[in-house]
Amino acid sequence: MVIRIAAVGDVHLDEDVVGRFRPALEELPECADVLLLAGDLTRHGTEAEARCVATEFGGLAVPVVTVLGNHDHQCDQVPQVVKVLEDAGITVLEGNGVVLDCAGGRLGIAGVKGFGGGFAGRCASDFGEPEMKAFVRTTTDSADRLGAALRSLDCDMLVALTHYSPVPDTLAGEPLEIYPFLGSYQLGQAIDSAPTALAVHGHAHAGTERGTTPGGVRVRNVAHPVIKQAYSVFHVGDQLDTDQVSPIGQSGSQRSWS
Amino acid sequence: MTHHRDIDTGPPDEYVEAEIQRLLVEDPAVAEQGITVIRRERALVLYGEVESPHRREEILRLVSERFPDVPVTSDIGVIRAQAPTEIEQLP
Repeated sequence: MVIRIAAVGDVHLDEDVVGRFRPALEELPECADVLLLAGDLTRHGTEAEARCVATEFGGLAVPVVTVLGNHDHQCDQVPQVVKVLEDAGITVLEGNGVVLDCAGGRLGIAGVKGFGGGFAGRCASDFGEPEMKAFVRTTTDSADRLGAALRSLDCDMLVALTHYSPVPDTLAGEPLEIYPFLGSYQLGQAIDSAPTALAVHGHAHAGTERGTTPGGVRVRNVAHPVIKQAYSVFHVGDQLDTDQVSPIGQSGSQRSWS
Repeated sequence: MTHHRDIDTGPPDEYVEAEIQRLLVEDPAVAEQGITVIRRERALVLYGEVESPHRREEILRLVSERFPDVPVTSDIGVIRAQAPTEIEQLP
């Protein structure tokens, strides 16, 4: 069973970017069963910017599933943004999941934006001022909803989609001082509470691609400035061989670095 | 006796650096969190990557408008958006 997953985050669309991704997106059916967007689709989270996202990522030949990012919250127009995206056929997850029938099996995707807080031993605590408690509780609530969504899905393969990072591994390259604003260990704990095959996130523009949760789940940072291409493609499954890689190989691709 | 910095010399570089960083995130015309400001001997250098040449120009315009006396050089790139040439297999 092999499921082909394309993913990118932090595309920050506005009128000046529309059209840049589209040629690469048109190639998606050849190499992927689904496209995941790891949040920060827009610059300021306006309805107008969401329409740019709909133009660029709508009407593709593969399903598109997204979470929102912190930028998508900036102008407090989340309901309008979500409506524009959903009208364009894009599935927006926040504390819930979706199951897609792919050629290789049923792919379950659970998603939340997530939040900051930091990582084990160096994280914020639910203690002290109300503002601090609210900060940490936002993180905990988000992680709890991700864990519940992951455990609720009936599928053959499970993927977690977040904007904030569940592990520090994929933040390498970012200043250590800002790790607590880039992710939280509770997201990793939620991912490890279910038989998750892959976790995908964005947000850390100066981070690195690869990491692993303490429970052994592969984590990939797909922020556009990190992957430096329209999207990354992951073939996830237990019977991979070079023949299964051939569709993308025909257009000049090479064997992966796995 | 505490030595106070002469007001005419302007704010210390560290505050300028912090102010530019926040300006690039909080100004609605830019809203970039991924730009790093580094102090060099002769100038502040802006590093990072953005989604379009227009955004790079906006960043430089904004910084030179707000800090006309601070020498700033830029090494900001525009992120490529081509289709991938490799896949990653995850058995």
